[in-house]
Amino acid sequence: MNSDAVTRDGSRLARHSLAVCCAVLCGLAAAPQAAEPTWRTVTQLTADERAQFDPDTSAPRDATLPYMPAEAYPFQPPYTAEEMGYRAAEFVHISRWPHSLIDVFGVITSSGYINQGAGVSYVNLQTKPGLEGYVSGVAAGQVYSRWSIYSVFPPETEAEQQLWVPYRTDAKNRTKMDFFVYSPQLRRVRRQPQPRRDQRFPDNAQTFDDVIGRDPWEFDWQLLGTDVVQQTIRFPNTRPTITLNNHESGFVERKTTDIRPMGDDYPHYRPDGGVDCWVVKAVTREDLLPDYNEKTLIYWLDKHYFYPVRMEKYDHEGKLIMIEVRNAALENPAREGFGYSALMTLYWDLEHDIMSYSVHDAHRPHEWTAEEQAMIFTPEFMRRQWLYEPIKSQALIGDPKHYFLRPQLYRERFPDERRIELSPALAARYEAQEAAGQLVFESGDDAAAPAP
Amino acid sequence: MKQSSGLRASLFVATCLAPLSVAAADVSNAMSKFDRAMATFNPLGEHVRKPIERAVPRLTFRGALRQWSDVLIDSDDRVGFREQDFRFLQLQNLLELETFYNFAPGLDLNAVTHAMYDGVYDWQRSGGLFADKLDRTAELYDNSERILREFYLSWRTPGFDLMVGKQQVIWGKMDGQFIDLINGMDRRESVQLESEDFELRRLPTWMVNTTFHFGRNSLQMLYIFDFEQDRQPLPGSPWFSPLIPPTTAASDILLPTKRVESGDFGDHEFGLRLDRSAGALTYGMIYAYMWDKNPVGHAIGTETRGANTLLRLQPRHERLHHVGVTADYATTLQDIPWMGTLPAVFRLEALWTKGVRFADFNKLAAARAGAATDGTAQHDTLRAAVAAEFGLPANTTMILQTSYYHTFGWNPALGFGFGGGFGDEWSLIPLLYLSRPFAFTRDRLSANFTAFPVISGPDNGWQGIKTKLRVRYKFSQFISGQLIYNGYDSGERNDLYGQYDEWDNFGWELSYEF
Repeated sequence: MNSDAVTRDGSRLARHSLAVCCAVLCGLAAAPQAAEPTWRTVTQLTADERAQFDPDTSAPRDATLPYMPAEAYPFQPPYTAEEMGYRAAEFVHISRWPHSLIDVFGVITSSGYINQGAGVSYVNLQTKPGLEGYVSGVAAGQVYSRWSIYSVFPPETEAEQQLWVPYRTDAKNRTKMDFFVYSPQLRRVRRQPQPRRDQRFPDNAQTFDDVIGRDPWEFDWQLLGTDVVQQTIRFPNTRPTITLNNHESGFVERKTTDIRPMGDDYPHYRPDGGVDCWVVKAVTREDLLPDYNEKTLIYWLDKHYFYPVRMEKYDHEGKLIMIEVRNAALENPAREGFGYSALMTLYWDLEHDIMSYSVHDAHRPHEWTAEEQAMIFTPEFMRRQWLYEPIKSQALIGDPKHYFLRPQLYRERFPDERRIELSPALAARYEAQEAAGQLVFESGDDAAAPAP
Repeated sequence: MKQSSGLRASLFVATCLAPLSVAAADVSNAMSKFDRAMATFNPLGEHVRKPIERAVPRLTFRGALRQWSDVLIDSDDRVGFREQDFRFLQLQNLLELETFYNFAPGLDLNAVTHAMYDGVYDWQRSGGLFADKLDRTAELYDNSERILREFYLSWRTPGFDLMVGKQQVIWGKMDGQFIDLINGMDRRESVQLESEDFELRRLPTWMVNTTFHFGRNSLQMLYIFDFEQDRQPLPGSPWFSPLIPPTTAASDILLPTKRVESGDFGDHEFGLRLDRSAGALTYGMIYAYMWDKNPVGHAIGTETRGANTLLRLQPRHERLHHVGVTADYATTLQDIPWMGTLPAVFRLEALWTKGVRFADFNKLAAARAGAATDGTAQHDTLRAAVAAEFGLPANTTMILQTSYYHTFGWNPALGFGFGGGFGDEWSLIPLLYLSRPFAFTRDRLSANFTAFPVISGPDNGWQGIKTKLRVRYKFSQFISGQLIYNGYDSGERNDLYGQYDEWDNFGWELSYEF
């Protein structure tokens, strides 16, 4: 039931670890000695990279919104680290344009306990799309968007609904959203307190801010360097395919090995399939986020659109506490580079060794009519128990052994900035997973499950 | 020598602990395998629900199996007028099936059926439990009224909803019932009935339910043509009050209740509700013209038997006017010591009811003496609640709710009446609720605690306290289990909770949803 048990049990995992060590040693012996590191610090940037990066940390401020850089969004190269942070804030978990989708999500523990859900989600904006709409299209303290979520799985929560009404926030207006829940058991719409921003949702690795997004002005930004990311979300070898719902062509079975970090339409893959990234560090500003659980965030941002393919969280002791990785897709081609959205996101909470995933299936940009806006995105609508536009998904995971792998640790990259400490039990599970190509649970039962 | 004995002690301890460590690892591994087996354990979902929905694509079919049991921690032979020779308060097994058939966009037929069996009457030897002989539904739902729980046609358009048939309508958002007054309730659990049970205990009613939606407003209108009264605990049921004496030859003569007629338009009920949402504030108003769901005995004559003059009492329901308000407001409090920000919601509900009928014991005595009175009196009542809900760190939720009940023009001769104080002019319940999951179980284990102290005035003062501790564990996404303790402490024998001082109980609930 808990990770400590693994060390006591030990034997099977130890065998896995031994096998991994042997494989690593053999691999080291066989590999070319001059394997080039994928990452570079700021002092090692290439001339092209230096031309794209502005090290200035005292850029002029906007006259009306002093927490914003003066340069007009989306900025022009060379970019400061702060501007990169602003560009990355374009790509929050819930895309910044009106759309509909079905969010399939779940969590797994180290014992293999799995808990999943699925909710049909409708998103409407009170302003124009994009970060620009959020920052300058609506005044601080005003409603920014409205999200309606109708649960369709598991049976216990079927027809449960939520209405999220996020606000444009700043240093003075701190309420992030109004939050309403409809419970079919109680048949009541109840206004709930907003979740605490830095707190994991129960039975989940995701925090409220992971979902709703963080305002870039709440952080101090610094460029650490560059890197190449080959993989983000990794499927196990027990799951060769996944069926996704494309809103135009319906259910499509995809080979999991074909799913790439930035989707099929991304034009800037390296010849080896990797994604060139800026690596940016964001430190929480104590004056704006006092007592915030996360002290430092490190982002891997694709160099062209600043899409965050990977993010790590560090606590106040500087210790790694969570890794988030994403597979993106160009879901809104009309917005070109700003139209990328998370198709899949995986969160690994290292403290509790729980992993949450979220698949945004059947994503469809959706202009809501005035009548629909007035009808759907209200607390009263939830009482009607009306699934207005049903959307289906087959992305639920059928067996714990088909669950995604823990994200790669990249221990060797930016070691001065990244303090990674795993418990012996967790380290053993991680290594065992790397050797097996699938999750290895506490009892070490690594027999492969039949493919779905 | 000392070292040697220390070493021996260490070796002894290590030898003793080694098997424990191995056993702990074995248990952990077994639990781990159990978790993975349970992860996909959903036989009725796989073999019943899926094939049905595949065969009839327009049909949604789902259901639940629930087993819940409560057992008295201690039993006494005699409590008040009760023979408490039983231990189990409930051994209930419930199968619920829900079907929704979609004819066209916005047009659905909904049906909910229940089958319930309570083993308390069969599975323990007791002379004090005999309610199943008075009413079979105390033990088993054996009639269509109980089995067919809901059955209604719903038609939804953007600006208008229409639902016709047997249904539940829930007004109110608080813990407890304040403006929630449309449906009757099966109150077989008496003081142990709580908000989370209402869905299963409410008595759906045949009605026409329409709602108009315009902007951020909605206006709901109800026309109820089938009256359902509350079902109070029956004599001989586990929660029948020990304060109520058994019927004897010297008891007053209780006639059949005067029925509210479904076929008489004049007996039908009506309700109106207006809601508005304005950012951080939502509010609404209700008006309802209903029957009191609990009848009051009217003295319609006397009869002399031996030396006793007995009243002939006819229970009648009373027409009531209800006017209520509801509001809630959300905010995030800043700069709170230890926690920085504090998300909070404040809620308010209040219901004023005109002309509630009470038994008046002075008038009943006068009626017995031959005076021209029916032994009742009418008074207005108010029931209201104010609540604050806080989102504390560690996913902890705290609710502070103060519930208030008041009878206007009260006098000590009055009995109980809708919305009024509990045998007193006013009653106050300052409720405390705390809930949190436990991270060491990856949040699968959660616990909540509720305390319901009751204070009344001006006569009774402290009326006892009810405490509830519930621990819930999620075995899988389909199966969960709960352990519950309910305690009733202090107060006098004739107080609301004091009368159930010997009813402290421990229970478990298992639920499988497919």
